[in-house]
Amino acid sequence: MKARFLFRRQISIAWAATTAGSVFVVAVTAGAASLPPAAQRAVIFQTEIAPIFQERCISCHGAEKEKGGLRLDDRKLALRGGDEGTAIVPGDSAKSLLIQLVAGVDEDRIMPAKGPRLSAEEIGLLRAWVDQGAKWPEKGVSTARDPRLEHWAFQPVRRFPALEAVDPVWRGNAIDAFVLAKLEEKNLKPSPEADRATLVRRISFGLTGLPPTLQQVDSFVKSASPNALPQLVDRLLDSPRYGERWARHWLDVARFCESQGFERDKIRPNSWRYRDYVINSLNEDKPYDVFVREQIAGDVLPGVTSERIVATGFLVAGPYDEVGLNQQSKIMRSRAREEELEDVVSVVGQTFLGLTVNCARCHSHKFDPITHEDYYQLKAVFEGVRPGDKDILTAAQLKEKEAEKKRLFASIYRLRRARANLEKKVMARLLARPGDVAEGLPRPLLTWEFESDAHEATGLMKGTLLDGARIENGRLILDGKKAYVKTTRLFRDLRARTFEVWAAITDLKSRGGGLLTLEQVDSSAFDSIVFGEREAGKWIAGSNAFRRTRNLQAPAETTASDDLTHLVIVYAEDGTITLYRNGKVYGAPYKPTGPQSELQTYKKGQSFFLFGKRHTGGGKPFFAGEIDEARVYDRALSSSELQASFAAGPRGIPLGKILSEMTAEQRAERSRLNLAIEREKAAYDAAATRPRAYAAIAAQPSITHRLARGDAGKPREAVSPAGLSAITKPSPDFGLKPDAPEAQRRIRLAVWITDPQNPLVARVIVNRVWHYHFGAGIVSTPNDLGLSGGRPSHPKLLDHLAAEFIANGWSLKWLHKKILLSRTYRQSSAHYPEAVNLDADNRLLWRHSPRRLEAEAVRDALLAVSGQLNLRMGGSGYMPWNLHIDNTHFYDWEDKIGEDFNRRTVYRLGVQSARDPLLDSLDCPDLSTKTPVRASTTTPIQALALMNNSVVQRQAQMFAERLIAEAPSSVEAQITRAYRLAYARAPKSSELARDASASKELGLPTVCWAIFNSSEFVYLR
Amino acid sequence: MNATSLPFYDSRRRFLWQSANGFGAVALASLLGDSRAVNATESSDPKTDSPYASKPTHFAPKAKRVIHICALGGVSHVDTWDHKPELIKRDGQEYKDKSYDPFFGQPGKLMKSPYEFKRRGQSGLWTSSLLPHLAECVDDIAFVNSMHSKTSNHTPATFLENTGFTMNGFPNLGAWISYGLGSENQNLPAYIVLPDPRGLPAGSAINWTQGFLPAAHQGVAFNATGEPIPDLFTPKNIPPEKRRAGMNLLRAMNRDYAASDPQNDELHARIRAYELAAQMQLNVPEITNLSGESAATHKLYGLDDKVTEGFGRNCLRARRLCERGVRFVQVFNGGAFGGKPRINWDAHADLTKNHGNQAAVMDKPVAGLLKDLKSRGMLKDTLILWTTEFGRTPVTQGLKSTGRDHHPNAFTIWMAGAGVKSGLAYGSSDEIGFNVADKPLQFYDIHATLLHLLGMDHERLSFYHNGIQRRLTDVHGHVVKDLLT
Repeated sequence: MKARFLFRRQISIAWAATTAGSVFVVAVTAGAASLPPAAQRAVIFQTEIAPIFQERCISCHGAEKEKGGLRLDDRKLALRGGDEGTAIVPGDSAKSLLIQLVAGVDEDRIMPAKGPRLSAEEIGLLRAWVDQGAKWPEKGVSTARDPRLEHWAFQPVRRFPALEAVDPVWRGNAIDAFVLAKLEEKNLKPSPEADRATLVRRISFGLTGLPPTLQQVDSFVKSASPNALPQLVDRLLDSPRYGERWARHWLDVARFCESQGFERDKIRPNSWRYRDYVINSLNEDKPYDVFVREQIAGDVLPGVTSERIVATGFLVAGPYDEVGLNQQSKIMRSRAREEELEDVVSVVGQTFLGLTVNCARCHSHKFDPITHEDYYQLKAVFEGVRPGDKDILTAAQLKEKEAEKKRLFASIYRLRRARANLEKKVMARLLARPGDVAEGLPRPLLTWEFESDAHEATGLMKGTLLDGARIENGRLILDGKKAYVKTTRLFRDLRARTFEVWAAITDLKSRGGGLLTLEQVDSSAFDSIVFGEREAGKWIAGSNAFRRTRNLQAPAETTASDDLTHLVIVYAEDGTITLYRNGKVYGAPYKPTGPQSELQTYKKGQSFFLFGKRHTGGGKPFFAGEIDEARVYDRALSSSELQASFAAGPRGIPLGKILSEMTAEQRAERSRLNLAIEREKAAYDAAATRPRAYAAIAAQPSITHRLARGDAGKPREAVSPAGLSAITKPSPDFGLKPDAPEAQRRIRLAVWITDPQNPLVARVIVNRVWHYHFGAGIVSTPNDLGLSGGRPSHPKLLDHLAAEFIANGWSLKWLHKKILLSRTYRQSSAHYPEAVNLDADNRLLWRHSPRRLEAEAVRDALLAVSGQLNLRMGGSGYMPWNLHIDNTHFYDWEDKIGEDFNRRTVYRLGVQSARDPLLDSLDCPDLSTKTPVRASTTTPIQALALMNNSVVQRQAQMFAERLIAEAPSSVEAQITRAYRLAYARAPKSSELARDASASKELGLPTVCWAIFNSSEFVYLR
Repeated sequence: MNATSLPFYDSRRRFLWQSANGFGAVALASLLGDSRAVNATESSDPKTDSPYASKPTHFAPKAKRVIHICALGGVSHVDTWDHKPELIKRDGQEYKDKSYDPFFGQPGKLMKSPYEFKRRGQSGLWTSSLLPHLAECVDDIAFVNSMHSKTSNHTPATFLENTGFTMNGFPNLGAWISYGLGSENQNLPAYIVLPDPRGLPAGSAINWTQGFLPAAHQGVAFNATGEPIPDLFTPKNIPPEKRRAGMNLLRAMNRDYAASDPQNDELHARIRAYELAAQMQLNVPEITNLSGESAATHKLYGLDDKVTEGFGRNCLRARRLCERGVRFVQVFNGGAFGGKPRINWDAHADLTKNHGNQAAVMDKPVAGLLKDLKSRGMLKDTLILWTTEFGRTPVTQGLKSTGRDHHPNAFTIWMAGAGVKSGLAYGSSDEIGFNVADKPLQFYDIHATLLHLLGMDHERLSFYHNGIQRRLTDVHGHVVKDLLT
């Protein structure tokens, strides 16, 4: 907007210049003589002036467009004037810009800009009104009641008595009576009940997103009991899988992202708690009104708990423009902030009220009676909310933890010292006897022991302690600020090599410090063991310009202590680089590519080592911690050599030798110390975890102003936090002032939205649940129950269910059961021609609409059927990508193998820019869009994904292995079991013959692959 | 065809319900929110099964397809195509305008372009020595020197450039065109993205999102090497005859299932999708394999030079995709903002070094593409659109720097080909290139014009999403008639 704004100003300045001075000069030189004469009588504003404004001016100079910054629909604003200053000078019409413009003093600039000019008579009336003091009663331009307020969704929910159907099968469930009544109006008949196998598959996917188990199918299909259905529904609703399935629906609407989007798309590592909150809330059937209130104001409602803090993650789950919100320009920052708040107002309005309040940001809503003011009143409710990682423990709990941590750290330190002293006594003896040093260990070229100085142990190189580096208790102490050690120059060339260091990390947050570096004197190359440079807490093989550096998929360090960690980098002759941590490969070996990626030769006399400093260049390359011992080998050590060296420890004396040298008493003392250390460490780890959630962080905001055309650069009058004026019961007036306390704003809104009298909240959620069970809502636009949304197909049913839902304690499980037990839901999906002709869209529900499974359900079903599904719930999501960071976080898809990656798809990390070829092709939505309805498309790209994606390939293989294990007797038994697992039915004899023969010819995995690709697998009937 | 002349609740309802019910072979097109197809439910032409099926336009189009070169980082207008003699005169002077609000640091001094400007071609348009190959093409280009944008922040500005909004989650113009027009070739997606082989743009795939449009309209990004698109190739361990037999078994299964629900055309569309997929497995490698192109063509696109080879390949691929009927090919020039050397036009520190490096990559391949399309007669119905998210400041970034800051107040973009005047410079910036002086345009106007050239009215190409009939141009945009032939 900036550029546009500048540009406009230039135009107006240019105009002023060409007319030789200011607007007033024009007016004076034009003279009153050229204006039509003023009417010679008293003029009444309401009957003579207001109609002119209304008909000719307000379409441009009203709240919507506010052209030139001028408004003529409000007394105060009209008298204040516009961008060019005062428009009306009471008492002097000739000096009033308004009069000059309508009179056409400047032929190039006549108002109104559109339509015919005002007549001389009208101008005369305006002149007289201005000359007589521009009197404008407080309620000048009156408006009649807005007819849009009569829209059905704004009316109170009516409790229609349940109809009684005549048909005995269709009696008993109120839903059926309403549906049947509508069908009968059109002379349509409902469809018969679906067969039981179809039904059990439909219900299982509907409630849990997974295929039914063999037992569920068997017991349901075989049972003749009328209780079989309610029992099945109850069992599925009690399953934790239910919460996982329905959380995914909710997360679609909540535009739940676990990364920021925009330029950098960083991961939000604590965002998963909100996902778990939703799953848990659904599983425990939390009353929906409580669920809503917690998400709007959980952190400020009385009785705050960790869970309620987490719930506010809803408000901030959208994209976050890190660069925009932190840029230098204040106005640009505030514009980015307005975008962020629009997202919040938008998600609150659409999710809970089914209203697109966001459409009123720039001007009043085009279709709904939602005013420009309404938008800003609702925005004022959230003005103090910003996203961030928030402690979910209370302040008192946190303080306690800090004190505990300090105590434990000191205690562990004391215990470790005691153990070291005990060992030192015997080690001195052992070192004196050469045969006792571990045998078979590789021989280093260079060793630094840091016993009393920083020289190489055999005197080959000297090391200098610099800038505060010191030796204490046989360790090099590095402060992470300036301290480091530099050696003399290398005495021979070094190519293939191994760096080995035993070090303690004392500051996990330190970034980019080098443990051991080999650097060329001309700074043209260096290689180093580096901590936390590109990813906090992680090790990399540092190098000049990252030429030989790759991020590694390996865990970050989690504890700072004086415990030693064994770190190694092996640089092989072929350029392969392998890191080891405590004897195990860290990440994976890699061979860098690109310029200067080959193994570097460090020349005799032209290179030196550093300890504690990544390189001699700029920045902050310092390591915070202690180095006990460092070794350099002139070859690439093997993995077994490194394991042996790790086992032997820094002094090369295996622990076994030390122990055998000890007296029984010493050994017992050592065991006691070890136990105590372990215990204290576990306690420390517990005290050190500070659970955080990505949630709303609230602070008292500055006063909210209405913004003309939604532009942060055009603040208008102050507004108070309030509800929407279209809803009068409960009253949208919160009785709050523009400077009301932050907490009060959200509490009042949460209470207002969930007031049982609120006409929208229950209708919206009932309609959403209906949508997911039937493929379309009673209103087909679940996020928009306003005038531009769909009309309800069964308005009375919607109201009946909304009222009953509230009466039944806002219980979602009650609602599911009510729907699933209805005859309406249980209909078969077969066509019949009369109905197709009358109601092709099945709005009247003459059958059950078949549909394709969503992406998540397809993937989960693959894993469930293959027997590989890992049902572990909760916690951080799995990440089927490799991350590399180059300012932007890039996520490269990889089909990762392992149990963690076989979890349900709802636990996939929600990264905005990450692609997943299989799930994307099955219509996984853009996470940052609010998605109340999934699309369902059929494309060749989707076919390719199901054909070739390695996930499908592998699960087909696993499926085949499962079948062979569970039905070893014959191919026929395997095919039969495959059908029952995948389709919840037995194969027909023709299918059995065809597939058994295919299995014999092509192998069972190919048949499993075909099943996974088949329409029957991905469709529900 | 008129999507928006229907009461929109009707088209939307159909959209929702077709996805569940699948009536009519055209249900698929209808799934994509295209109610035009709904009028033709009786049709059962299998060709309409494809979501990429070609769709009718609002009026006769001038352009059938578009190649969009998206240059990232902010290309300096005053060093390329917007000649400012006054800036040479005032070189080194301080710039004192209190309203100037830099993106980074303090305003510096006015800095003349280090490149020499000359009149080129018959049209005599001024261009600099930075882009010598494109300078040979000015007679085929319409420059817009009066662009301005809302934001000086790269990513929102790039979103605005490509989606009409500064937020995440809005469909890219390629997705809109795919939704509105489909592809001329059902075997290929309508919207294909060729990321710069040096690196993906900031936000990577967010840049080619379908937003709220159905996922079939998401840009399909082609990898520079290896498998052009994910899952294209049959896994190596499956011999072709085994795959064929497996496909036959699958077809038998799917036919049986479709036969049990004969009126559900979505199920027939699924069978067809597997046939198209098999076609795509053959077609795509053929398109990306450039070995059949002549040595002269390789040279024309700079494939014989390491600097231009990677980006040049993408430009040549863009032509080949267009030849096969892909509607919208988006070629990124440049990548994200980290790392060294810089791989985009974001010349904060040293303008000459940065723009020199970037121009060396872009100039020859884009000029080659333009010349190639022209010589093949393709420029008649193919439009090349070249854009950047904003320009760069006529002043230096800070007093001692030789770089330029982000500059949304005035910058240059260009178009060439189908339906666009050639050898034209439209609009102008002020004498130092700081603000727009004449005929200001925003990306809304460029998008409106682009859709117009493709035969679509930007106010009628819309999609209902959460309360709004969304448009590429939001509530803005005018077709720039003066740019049209």
